[in-house]
This record gives sequence, C-alpha cells and structure tokens, in this order.
Amino acid sequence: MSHAEVSMEHVHGAVTEERPFGVSSKKLVMWLFIIADAATFGAILFAYGYVRVGSPDWTKPFEFFPTILNGIVMTIVLLTSSLTMMGAVRAASAGRPTAIRWLGATILLGTAFVVLHLREWSLMIREGWSPSRNPLGGSPLFGATFFGITGLSLLHIVAGVIALAVVTLLYRRGRLDASYIETTGLYWHFVDLVWIFVFPLVYLLNAR
Amino acid sequence: MRFYTVLWAGLLGIVIVEVLLTYGGLRPLPLLIALLALALIGAGVVLMYFMHLRYERRILFWSLIPALVFALVMLDHIWPDAFRVTSMRLPVAASSTPAGGG
Repeated sequence: MSHAEVSMEHVHGAVTEERPFGVSSKKLVMWLFIIADAATFGAILFAYGYVRVGSPDWTKPFEFFPTILNGIVMTIVLLTSSLTMMGAVRAASAGRPTAIRWLGATILLGTAFVVLHLREWSLMIREGWSPSRNPLGGSPLFGATFFGITGLSLLHIVAGVIALAVVTLLYRRGRLDASYIETTGLYWHFVDLVWIFVFPLVYLLNAR
Repeated sequence: MRFYTVLWAGLLGIVIVEVLLTYGGLRPLPLLIALLALALIGAGVVLMYFMHLRYERRILFWSLIPALVFALVMLDHIWPDAFRVTSMRLPVAASSTPAGGG
C-alpha cells in the first residue's frame, strides 16, 4: 500500500482492496516459502530414493539401539514442540501472557532435538561415517544422502529455534504482535512436517 | 488445546505403527508404501490443523497444494533422466571415428 493510499484511508475510510487469500502478506509470504522449501525437500528425498534403488550395495546400518530409539525420541520431541507451538499461537492470539511460557517450552524442545541430532551425528562420525565414506564397505552414497537430508533438516530446525528466540524476545518487549508468533509457528510446524517424512524414509527404511 | 492434544497423540500413534511395521517382517515395497501412506496422513494432519490450512480460505489451499503436488510429480518424472547421463557419453573408439564417414 502506498503512502498516498494510507493517507486516503485516514481521510476517507477504508479504500484498500480486499486481500484475495484472506491472510496477511507476511503469512502469505511464509506459505510461499514453505511450498518452495517443500519442493526442495521433495527433490532431495526423490534423489535419495533413486540413488538407493540404483545402488545394489546399499547399506542398512541402523540398529534399534541406539539409532532407531534415538530417532523415536527425536520424533516425539519434535511432535511435542508442535503442540507447545500451537499453545503459544492460541495464547498469544487470546492475549494471554502464558504465550511466553509456551514459546519457551518450544525453544527448549527444539534445542533438545538439535542436541540429540548432533549427538547421533558425532557417534556416527566416530564410527567412521562421513558424506563420502561408509565404514561398513557398502555404497558411500548412504553417508552422502543421510548427512545431506538430515543436515538440511537440522539447519532448518536450528534456524527455527533462533527465529523463535528472537520473536519471543521482541514479543515479550511488546515490539511484535501475535501475528508474528502465528507466522513463525507456521514455519515450525513445517519443519515438523518434513521430519514426519525423514524419520520413516531415512531411518526406518535403513533399519536392520 | 484438547483437540490438538488428541491430534498430537494420533501423530505419536502413527510413529509407533511405523516402527512396528518396520520390525514386522514386511517386504521392502509394501513397507515403503505403508510408511509413505502413514507419513502422508501425519503430514495432512499437521498441514490442515496445526498449520490451520483447513480454516483458511479455500483459494489458499487450491493455489498452493496442487502446485506443490505438480512440482513434486514432475521432479519424480524427470529424476530418472539423471541416470541417462552416463550412457549418453560417446564411447572413446566411436568418438575418434570421423562423423558421417560411413
């Protein structure tokens, strides 16, 4: 909206057009980002599928303990963080101060997920895994796809935790309103949605 | 929040079913189909309820989701072309033969 239109609105009442999607521009931009990002994740998961089918010596290295169990705990942590994020969105839109506590819980759960993920990575790296090395002697593409897919997911979650921390701080100081929490919540639910595909396709399908 | 807690419990249930199926002795293809179907159900719940897409105007859904599905189908359709690259290179012996010599 131009400055002239804003001025007109003050003088003559509402002269703006109705929003075609019925959502604020920042929410629409977040949706567009999410769709583009979903295509990115879709692309790397398809690539993983083709690489896997095209590698006769594909390795299935994951034992139930510790890797799959760790993956289950990570999944529960991330799903629970979506629930606490929902609590934050609802509390903030109702103007309740508990929104800060819900946001704090979401940040804590997100951080726990990152710690669990990095712990798993460090164990694998200590065993000799890398994006170009397979200590079990099978296709080295396993490491490339595993670290590539989970790395991109982890990067999103780290970015989400940082974004949540910043939004929480500014919301607490009264510099942002509830709509920013809703928009950040959209992103947070999206990283949860991505993990819903990553866990079965990358972890469970590689379980021994 | 009770409604969302029920949905959250349902999502946890999906994870448990996925793990049970993984260790249930299914062959790879049925297991892949089952895991993908369960993941799609979970993703649908997150998208429609946690991300509130169900409560937005329908035009938002119809503008975003079919476009994403189309993009993913096209990605899936053209990825096998990546495997053609190696077989498209001319063999060394053939490349030394003058073009149109036969």
